[in-house]
Amino acid sequence: MPVADDIKSSWADEVELEGGALPPSTEVRENGFKIVTDYKYNEDEKKLKIVRTYKIEKRTVSKSIALRKTWKKFGESATDKPGPNPATTIASEDVYMQYVTSKEEDNKPEDESSIDKLKSLGDKSVVRCRTCGQEHWTTKCPWKDTVLIGGKLPDDKKGPAVTTGFTNAETGKPGGSKYVPPNMRDGAAKRTDSTNMARRDDTTAIRVSNLSESTTENDLEDLVKPFGPIQKLYLAKDKTTGACKGFAYIHFKFRNDAAKAIQALNGHGYDHLILNVDWSKPPTHSNQ
Amino acid sequence: MKPLMLHGHERAITQIKYNREGDLLFSSSKDNKPNVWYSLNGERLGTFNGHQGAVWCIDVDWTTTRFMSGAGDNTFRIWDCETGTEIDKAMGHNCEIFIMDVRNVDESLSQADPILKIPIIGSRVSSMLWGALDETLLTGHENGEIIQWDIKTGKKLQTAKEHENLINDMQMSKDSSMFITASKDHTAKLFDSDNLMLLKTYKTERPVNSAAVSPILEHVVLGGGQDAMDVTTTSARVGKFDSRFFHLVFEEEFGRVKGHFGPINSVAFHPDGKSYSSGGEDGYVRVHNFDPSYFEYGFDY
Repeated sequence: MPVADDIKSSWADEVELEGGALPPSTEVRENGFKIVTDYKYNEDEKKLKIVRTYKIEKRTVSKSIALRKTWKKFGESATDKPGPNPATTIASEDVYMQYVTSKEEDNKPEDESSIDKLKSLGDKSVVRCRTCGQEHWTTKCPWKDTVLIGGKLPDDKKGPAVTTGFTNAETGKPGGSKYVPPNMRDGAAKRTDSTNMARRDDTTAIRVSNLSESTTENDLEDLVKPFGPIQKLYLAKDKTTGACKGFAYIHFKFRNDAAKAIQALNGHGYDHLILNVDWSKPPTHSNQ
Repeated sequence: MKPLMLHGHERAITQIKYNREGDLLFSSSKDNKPNVWYSLNGERLGTFNGHQGAVWCIDVDWTTTRFMSGAGDNTFRIWDCETGTEIDKAMGHNCEIFIMDVRNVDESLSQADPILKIPIIGSRVSSMLWGALDETLLTGHENGEIIQWDIKTGKKLQTAKEHENLINDMQMSKDSSMFITASKDHTAKLFDSDNLMLLKTYKTERPVNSAAVSPILEHVVLGGGQDAMDVTTTSARVGKFDSRFFHLVFEEEFGRVKGHFGPINSVAFHPDGKSYSSGGEDGYVRVHNFDPSYFEYGFDY
């Protein structure tokens, strides 16, 4: 094909060839700034244009320093151009000095004196420890980390696990008792109560899975509202994209409603997917 | 502040030092080439090529014409600052102090005899300083001892044993009346350079590798971190690789500056007190220009 021979290269190739030679680097100095433009190839054979802007500052210095500024570079820097070489000199991110103050230590004596002031007012009930009932802050109670002394706490608040745990509680001595794990201590009784409450809450919760990505909280609300009043609704979403992760938890007010919802929605076709609905299972890592 | 990161070394920085006017910053590292930089813009002026071992300590003379480096290849070399050429080298020996006359240094240095030789018996020297008026010599030892020597006679004048572990670094205050030591025993201490009296102690919870006294304010900066061999087992946050600023008089820490990825091996104040530099195990030298808030910061007392 003689015609094909005449065309040496297509226009697309020509562009490639043009790109082969890099434009020379330029240096422009204008009103106190030096702008250096460089061209180079990166690893992907793509042409890069690098523009560096330097601020030129004039400083008055002593003669010896000015003289040293004119010294020629040597050693490994012998081939460097004037000005900092970006390979060796890097401007890093801003850092700040974190000031450390000893304010917390200063506050301590003040704290003491404020208690004294309150005490001098005559009102003995102002400062009262919640643990032992004596006159100090609860956080300063000498028995705060140990077993509570002599039945100040109402019996009904004591959990069953607590009373079986130790006999020293009645002796009134903080020392001498063996180690008691935090969750077995008296103060923890309330906490276990609250976690029990949370678990009781879970009994009205259902888990909906196999939701489509485009599901929003409003869609979900519309879906479950007909079954009864809702306490809480949680839709798992991707942190970055905000898209639904495919499952949700719904806390109903009443267990009956939740049961109804499970019955109706399990296997229900929703947005091209078939929903999977069941009771929400308690987290597996809890030990009770 | 926006620090300049100077990346001219391939291995851990061992020492950094400003010249007298502070326009040049010298750095040495465990690779074999000490570097010199313009402290203002971080431009590298050059490298001193020639050593065959890790360069452990460096110094520059009063007029910034000569530069000296001591290295693990058992030599110390004297260089011309302007051209970076080696004038001559001399061999050292196992822990001996050589005092050599280098006022008119030339190629005959390697043949010249030291004007004084002080053999060190016992604990090895880990850091060294000239005393006031160059009449004495101060040495810090591996067992924490500090010894003051008389240059004329080569005799021990005084000894102070305040540190419990190796002394990593000693630096003079601007007027040479005091010097600060940085020790592996987690403290830095300020001494009177005349009678070796312990003046102040700055306590930290990790080995201190370097300490410097500000020339204009009553501040000291400490750099440290745990041993280099333990670094890989701790994260940067736990390792506490920040420079820590203490008040000179009250011995209380008032500020910290983060930045390095490893322990800081050397810190130095610019002679004008308006910037400071730190060199770390990560191989970077960081030049920090203080923010105005640093100068406005008032210490509550």
